[in-house]
Amino acid sequence: MNNRRNTRVLLSGPYLLWAVGFTVIPLFVIIRYALTDETGAFTLNNLFAIADPINLKATVFSLEIALMSTMICVLLAYPLVLAFRRLNLSKNRFMLFILILPMWMNFILRILAWQMILSNNGILNFILGKIGIGPLHIANTGLSIMIGVVYDYLPYMVLPIFNAVAEIDEDVIEAARDLGGNSLTVFRKVIFPLSLPGLMSGIIMVFIPSMTEFVIADILGGGKLQLVGNIIEQEFTRSSNWNLGAGLSVALMLFMMVSMAFTMKTDHGYGSDGKAGAVW
Amino acid sequence: MSEAILELRSICKSFDGKKVLDHIDIEIDKNEFITLLGPSGCGKSTTLRIIGGFEYPDEGRVFFKGRDITDLSPDKRNVNTVFQKYSLFPHYNVEDNIAFGLKLKKKSRQYIKDKVKYALKLVNMDGYEKRKPMSLSGGQQQRVAIARAIVNEPEILLLDEPLGALDLKLRQEMQRELMKIKKEVGITFVYVTHDQEEALTMSDRIIVMNQGIIQQMGTSISIYDEPQNAFVADFIGDSNIIDGVMLKDRLVRIFGIDVPCVDVGFGTNEPVDVVIRPEDLVIVSPEAGYWKGTVTDLIYKGAYYDIKLKTEDYEWTIQSNTPAAVGLQAGLTVLPDNIQIMNKPRSSDEEALKEDE
Repeated sequence: MNNRRNTRVLLSGPYLLWAVGFTVIPLFVIIRYALTDETGAFTLNNLFAIADPINLKATVFSLEIALMSTMICVLLAYPLVLAFRRLNLSKNRFMLFILILPMWMNFILRILAWQMILSNNGILNFILGKIGIGPLHIANTGLSIMIGVVYDYLPYMVLPIFNAVAEIDEDVIEAARDLGGNSLTVFRKVIFPLSLPGLMSGIIMVFIPSMTEFVIADILGGGKLQLVGNIIEQEFTRSSNWNLGAGLSVALMLFMMVSMAFTMKTDHGYGSDGKAGAVW
Repeated sequence: MSEAILELRSICKSFDGKKVLDHIDIEIDKNEFITLLGPSGCGKSTTLRIIGGFEYPDEGRVFFKGRDITDLSPDKRNVNTVFQKYSLFPHYNVEDNIAFGLKLKKKSRQYIKDKVKYALKLVNMDGYEKRKPMSLSGGQQQRVAIARAIVNEPEILLLDEPLGALDLKLRQEMQRELMKIKKEVGITFVYVTHDQEEALTMSDRIIVMNQGIIQQMGTSISIYDEPQNAFVADFIGDSNIIDGVMLKDRLVRIFGIDVPCVDVGFGTNEPVDVVIRPEDLVIVSPEAGYWKGTVTDLIYKGAYYDIKLKTEDYEWTIQSNTPAAVGLQAGLTVLPDNIQIMNKPRSSDEEALKEDE
């Protein structure tokens, strides 16, 4: 008995080490920085700094970008996933592979490519000019940041939703059609509800990283548009004010935890082996 | 005008170049319990899916009360299906599962409530309204699936091996209940199964299929007693299927012995298949039988003994109420009435039979 427990502890050791070393300890370090000033004295000012006009503006802007991007990702993901299902991708994962392929390329490179496409003298305006439209000023706007975010994070939305939808038994969908459901009803009443666990995972995996995004904003925002991620980054790098940077981070984290808790509160589990909450 | 509620005319269907249905013609009468019976891959499920609208036939048309419904999608057909894997909606409770079709038809709240209650009572599941499908046993899930289908008052209920996933005892119980339900709601049942016993128990009429071809159509009794070819004889119940030569009317030569039978019209000296049911063979003393041999096996089956008797040319299967010791020298006899003579099958059936074995 004792022996088996030892084995179990031993086997979970690497993960524990990882969790403690790379998640728990850094988290405490960040929180410690957040709750102290340069002298090391306790303060809450770093947390409240999120309400300063500049920081607040950046936070609201980040929230807008993140919400919009997440929404666009959802709207793009469903048609894609339904098409994938129709193509019977559980057997043939080639299309899925195509979707993920860009992720094999360097992240910065992908974003720089978008800069080339979207800039005022870029590829998009060149093509638009040929057919007599434009030029459009997309570069260095919120829209351009959003395009970058959507492009980058779409796979994280598609994959969990696809997994949830691929698991739906064809018989269940046929049963819905058999009982008088047209395509829209089948989606509304069967496919969508059964995809919710995947959708939740997708939202978490897109919303949270895009909320704290700063590299995309740096490149596609032309350095003028600041997300809260950019401000935090600058506190750590240029201003070397780790306490303030950590404070903003923690404030942001608290905000996201609260908002996610509300989103996740609804129970999507069905029956004994409810698969809801893959991330939460 | 005929009584036919559903008619399949010359239906053909291929998957990936392989023909699964080859000019199927079926007429189903109102209020009939009809069973499509055959081994897996015989095309019975595809036939059902064509009736339900889930598959589109390559050739042929489907008529519902004389109206061509071949091009209608499943949601526009007054037909409901009970699937083998129950296929309940996992995110709805029992009540919402059953109400699914009625809600789509925009029935009143009170109507739906009454209907759900009635349907649950019908399948012996009252009180389970709020349970989630996952928390029910297989048998209970299938009851809910049946309730979910019949609550829509379809004119035809399609059942695709609905009891296939249940254990024997439950299956027999559900068979009786299905027949009871059928009587109560009075709708036409089209039932698909590979279980010949199930088919014989429940059906008004059985359609035996193999390799996309209808082998025989008829009542349980006629299918069992008068199989039209060796495939049907082999598939329905245990059988001794042997080669014989029809010498003349009412006389067949089996393994060199001339045996009187009751069949006529096969011509003279015509090679035929002979079917003798195991329960029709009688073990007698060696001198009194047509064929002589040794008992090689004896298995007690509860209601009867399963006996193997090896003669010079063939190992016979016999079912008897009295045991016969292994090693016993014995003779075999059979009444003329109990010998079925069948034409040698057409080539495609022959293939079918071989593949089945």
